[in-house]
Amino acid sequence: MGGPGSSPCASCKLLRRRCAKDCIFAPYFPPDDPHKFAIVHKVFGASNVSKMLQELPVHQRADAVNSLVFEANARVRDPVYGCVGAISYLQNQVSQLQMQLAVAQAEILCIQMQHEPTLQSHHQVLELDQDHKALLLNNNNNINNCGNNTNNNNLGYAMSSGQFNSNFASPSSIMQMQMQMQMQDPLKQESLWT
Amino acid sequence: MNPTKRCAACKYLRRRCPKDCIFSPYFPPTDPDKFACVHRIYGAGNVSKMLQQIPVQARAEAVESLCFEAKCRVEDPVYGCVGIISLLQTQIQKTQSQIAQTQAEITIAQTQSSQFM
Repeated sequence: MGGPGSSPCASCKLLRRRCAKDCIFAPYFPPDDPHKFAIVHKVFGASNVSKMLQELPVHQRADAVNSLVFEANARVRDPVYGCVGAISYLQNQVSQLQMQLAVAQAEILCIQMQHEPTLQSHHQVLELDQDHKALLLNNNNNINNCGNNTNNNNLGYAMSSGQFNSNFASPSSIMQMQMQMQMQDPLKQESLWT
Repeated sequence: MNPTKRCAACKYLRRRCPKDCIFSPYFPPTDPDKFACVHRIYGAGNVSKMLQQIPVQARAEAVESLCFEAKCRVEDPVYGCVGIISLLQTQIQKTQSQIAQTQAEITIAQTQSSQFM
C-alpha cells in the first residue's frame, strides 16, 4: 500500500498528501474505510496517532489502532464520558452479578445443609442455617435496592442509554481491580472489535 | 489575566492565559501533570474543540474522563482503557456462567429435596 502507482491510504487521502512507501498509517487505514481514520483523526489528531504508533513495536500497532478507533468511536458517541461511561456501566454490572452469585451460592449451601446427614449437632445446623438465611436476606435487600440497570451487555446500548454513574472510579482503583481480575491477554478478546 | 496565575494548560503551552481561557476552570496550575497527560494523547487543540462542543455544565466531567483515558493510554499504549473494558466483559461472562451453573445446581437440589418429601 502507498507509493507511486498505488492508491493512497485513507489517512493520506484525508490529509491530502502523498502516501509514502513507508507510510506509518497505510497498513492500518486502508483506502476502502475512510471513516476509520477520520474518526481517529477527529479525536486524537493524525500527528498524535503517528507518534503513538512510532513508539510501539510493529506487531502491536494493529491492536493499538483498533483500540484507538474504539475509543474514538466511544468519544464521538458520548462526548462527555466516552469509554469511561462504558467502564462505569460494566463495573456496576459486575457488582450486581457478583451479588447474584453470592445469593445463589448461599441458597445452594442452605439446601445442602438441610439435607446433610446429621453428623453435626442439631444446634450447629441451626446456627449455620440462621447465618446463611441472614446472608440471603441481606443480599436480597441489596439487590432490591440496586439501580434499575438492565441486563443488556451491549456496549453500544451502555454508551447511549445514559445509565451511568458519573462518579466513576479513579484510574488507580480501576487499575487495582484490573490486577485482581485474571490478567488475560486482551489480544484474545477478539469479540471486542470484530 | 495575571501571568503568574496562568492555568496549567497555558503554562504548558507558554502563552498568556486569557480571562475566558477554556482550560482554566479544569486545569489548575497546582496540577501540571493533568494537562500534560491529556495534551500528550489528544493535543490541546483537540481538547479545546471537544470542550467547546459540550455544554459548560458537562465540561468538568468530560475533562475528568479525558484525563482518565489519557492516563490509561500512557500506562497501556496498546490497549488504553479498552483493556479494562475487555477484562470487565470477561469477568461478566465468567460470573454469568457461574450463576447459571449454581442455579442449575439449585434446581437439581430442589428436585431431589421434593422427591424425599
